[in-house]
Amino acid sequence: MDLLKGTLDMLVLRTLVFGPLHGYAIAKAIRQTSDDALEIEFGSLYPALKRLELKGWVAAKWEKSENNRQVRIYRLTPAGKKQLTQEHAKWADFAGAIARVMGPAPEI
Amino acid sequence: MPRKWRYLIPHLRRKAEREMQEEFRALQEIAGKRELGNLTLAAENARAVWGWPRLEGVWADVRYAIRVLRRKPSFAAAAVVSLALGIGANAAIFSLMDALLWRELPVRDPERLVTFVNSSRSYFGYSRFAGNRGGSMENIAACSGSLVRRLDTGRGPERGQVELVTGNFFEMLGIQTDAGRPITPEDDRRGNPAPVAVLSHSYWQKAYGGAAVLGRTIRVEKAPFTIIGVAPAEFFGVTVGEVPDVWLPVSTANSVFPGPSWLDGKNNNFLTIVGRLQPGISMQQASAELTPVSIQIDLERNGPPRSEKDRRSLFESKLILESAGKGISFLRDRFSEPLRVVFWMVGIGLLLACVNVMSLEFARADERRKELTVRLAIGASRGRIARQLLTESVILAAASGLIGVLLRQPLAAALVRLILVWDDQPARLSLETHSAILLFVAAVSVAAALVSGVMPALRAARGAVQPGLQQGPRPAGGSPSGRFLRRAVAAAQIAISLVLVAATCLFAYSLHQLRQFDGGLNRNRLLVADVDPADAGYEGPQLIGLNLRLRDRLAGVPGVEAVSFSQNGIFSGRNYSTHFDADGFFNADQRTHFSAFDHVGPYFFSTAGTHVIAGRDFNERDDPGAPKVAIVNREFARRVFAGSDAVGRNLYVTAAKDTILSYQIVGVVQDIRNDVRRPKPMFYLCQIQTQTQAFSTRFLVRTRLDPTAVIPSLRATLRAEAPALHVDQIDTAEELLDRTLATDRLMAVLAWGFGVLAIILAGVGVYGLQSYDVTRRTAEIGIRMAVGAQRRDVVWLVMREVALICGSGIAAGTATALLMARFVESLVFQMRAANPLIQAAAAIVLVVVGGGAAWIPARRAARMDAVAALRNE
Repeated sequence: MDLLKGTLDMLVLRTLVFGPLHGYAIAKAIRQTSDDALEIEFGSLYPALKRLELKGWVAAKWEKSENNRQVRIYRLTPAGKKQLTQEHAKWADFAGAIARVMGPAPEI
Repeated sequence: MPRKWRYLIPHLRRKAEREMQEEFRALQEIAGKRELGNLTLAAENARAVWGWPRLEGVWADVRYAIRVLRRKPSFAAAAVVSLALGIGANAAIFSLMDALLWRELPVRDPERLVTFVNSSRSYFGYSRFAGNRGGSMENIAACSGSLVRRLDTGRGPERGQVELVTGNFFEMLGIQTDAGRPITPEDDRRGNPAPVAVLSHSYWQKAYGGAAVLGRTIRVEKAPFTIIGVAPAEFFGVTVGEVPDVWLPVSTANSVFPGPSWLDGKNNNFLTIVGRLQPGISMQQASAELTPVSIQIDLERNGPPRSEKDRRSLFESKLILESAGKGISFLRDRFSEPLRVVFWMVGIGLLLACVNVMSLEFARADERRKELTVRLAIGASRGRIARQLLTESVILAAASGLIGVLLRQPLAAALVRLILVWDDQPARLSLETHSAILLFVAAVSVAAALVSGVMPALRAARGAVQPGLQQGPRPAGGSPSGRFLRRAVAAAQIAISLVLVAATCLFAYSLHQLRQFDGGLNRNRLLVADVDPADAGYEGPQLIGLNLRLRDRLAGVPGVEAVSFSQNGIFSGRNYSTHFDADGFFNADQRTHFSAFDHVGPYFFSTAGTHVIAGRDFNERDDPGAPKVAIVNREFARRVFAGSDAVGRNLYVTAAKDTILSYQIVGVVQDIRNDVRRPKPMFYLCQIQTQTQAFSTRFLVRTRLDPTAVIPSLRATLRAEAPALHVDQIDTAEELLDRTLATDRLMAVLAWGFGVLAIILAGVGVYGLQSYDVTRRTAEIGIRMAVGAQRRDVVWLVMREVALICGSGIAAGTATALLMARFVESLVFQMRAANPLIQAAAAIVLVVVGGGAAWIPARRAARMDAVAALRNE
């Protein structure tokens, strides 16, 4: 499935609500939560992460992982939380509007 | 996005890059290589997030452009030198015009300052205005402009400039002194036992080296003044082009200018009245309020009007006010027109330089065709290539602009010394770098970059890909559009050069005409020596005796034919006028009863070689005991006596303390003219009879042979007679005349410079073009010769092309020159600016230049070996 650029940002923010993750874990989480419907290429995810970091909605830090490696962990910031709420509301309105127009699946 | 700005710092960029690679390595260990996919792409995209792609693109262009230019230093040097000179010259003229014409005075609220244009200029008039100020003017002050006096700081008397100002002058302008205090109304009282003075900043530096001066005494014409303050560095009074050394209260005028009192008498005009309007009041309102005062002054000066016409013109007259926010300046009136013309000439010169650089760029773009087509082939957009080429032009122009800014100051200073000379003193203008000037240079540099770079860049970027990559022979002469473009550029160079060459011929010829003009005297072998007898400590009637003794001694010098003297001299700026009356002068309008005059010695007119039309010259019989006599010039006789005999009539002149003396007119002489304008009416009195001297004496010395050879003996004689005398200048009459022609000389000198430059550039342009063409057409020429063309046919082939270019260039140039001629009409003497002879001369010059420049490549083509040319195929 193809995603709009803004949607990917929203998904990442949502994924980080449950706790900080590193880049690969985020991609895996999105795949798993969508039941493999959304296969996010790491090549697309990583720039999105950097964008969010630049905007101040996520913060990154080097931390020690399970196998004692330094890995970069991304965390949602308060500003990011607020942004997520707004995005979620916008998305819900959008989805609702589409649903109203489309209506139930037509009988064939 | 404030955070993004941090990534402009290279240190942070590198850190982010390192961390990204670290992160990738760590994630690869966790996830396995294949899971993460194309990390290079991920890195690229991430860089795009924190990068500034357009800025980085421009920076890359700049670095590349610098590398390219360094590979061809001769081109870069040629371009930068010509553009820098052009930009520097333009900036110099611009700063001159700014300082003289546009800049506001460095005072408080300059927009509220006004001068009284047609009011009385005497102290009497000023005091009337100051007394009846009314509500529209916040303040009214007066100043005299810079006057030459001798200043003594303790090291002996030296020539300096003083300005007399009223007590409220500094207060009105809102000027605080750098040290001490300014002159106040309390200081400006007649008979003040402790007269004060304020120094200008530059004089303070020059004469005192910036040491403490408050409380010290400075002597002006031997009268002591206490220094109470030093003016700020940028303040120079209200007269643009002059910087007085010392400001003195106007009430001290009589101690500084001995002789008849300047402060009394209704006709001693030496002040300019400057006022400040109340906020919100317009000049019309102030004029309406003060006109009655002006009329009152007129009545008190000239008495009641004698006729109904006079009465009407008096009571309908209006006091004219003029905005003084930019100061007042005689220089401005005289030089604003020439400066504007020079500005345009310099602009055209820069245009010529840009066109030259443009043609050089075209040639270079052709050479780089291979490189550009490779770049196009691997995917660069045409816009990107054009942008990169344009960056080169911008860098050249930026470098030229910087050098131009550095050149501006010395060029402007040189121009001031060359042009803006008033009464032998170069003007003093503030030529520092202001933001306006920098802005101008930036704008001009950008324009230069665009003119010289846009067309070559666009054309190069449009170049076809295929032909460029082939190694084989290129189409003969290049693409048709390329040839047309090159010819058009060469024709443009010819056209612009023609305009400049026409200007050269015009101004040179005008100057020549001016030098021939008849000044009413014989300029051959005539010297003028400026001597101040007051230097020797003489005063009053002793001065005249000294003049006579000096005259006798000078007459005895071998090689001298005749000697006389006068106060004004000839071709000098000096000019005094006074009120007079005459028998039979029926014009009752007292305003016409003013004439210029001079005090001269015996045989003045025969020494000067001025034709005596009626009556006689002054001779030694005209001494204090004899009847008082006067001589008038033809213009005076015409205006006052309207054709009837002047000789024998009486002239009544107002002297000191308003007494009236009567002189009998004994001669009428030809008009001696100071400059080419209409002759002024003048009357002459014999100094031996008047026994007055106000300034220095100018001795006229007619020599038998070469005048310059006699000068040393003259100096020695003068020194022998009175060792304390200071002999300023001894000039020939021709040199003095030349000085009055400063403007015209300026135009001629500059025009010569530009003309020569234009010819060189045009010649180089044509030569370069034809040389290039011949090289390209080697094969074609070889074929033509092989099938029977003679050498002269080949030459004709080349010259035909040049003829076409020169023809179109000359046509365009002539049309432009004729169009622009009307702007310089006021600057040429006794001829129309659109003179066909001048145009023809300029056209001939360019034909010769173009033909000559093309001759060399033409001959090279003719001497080509046909076989060798074909073998190159």
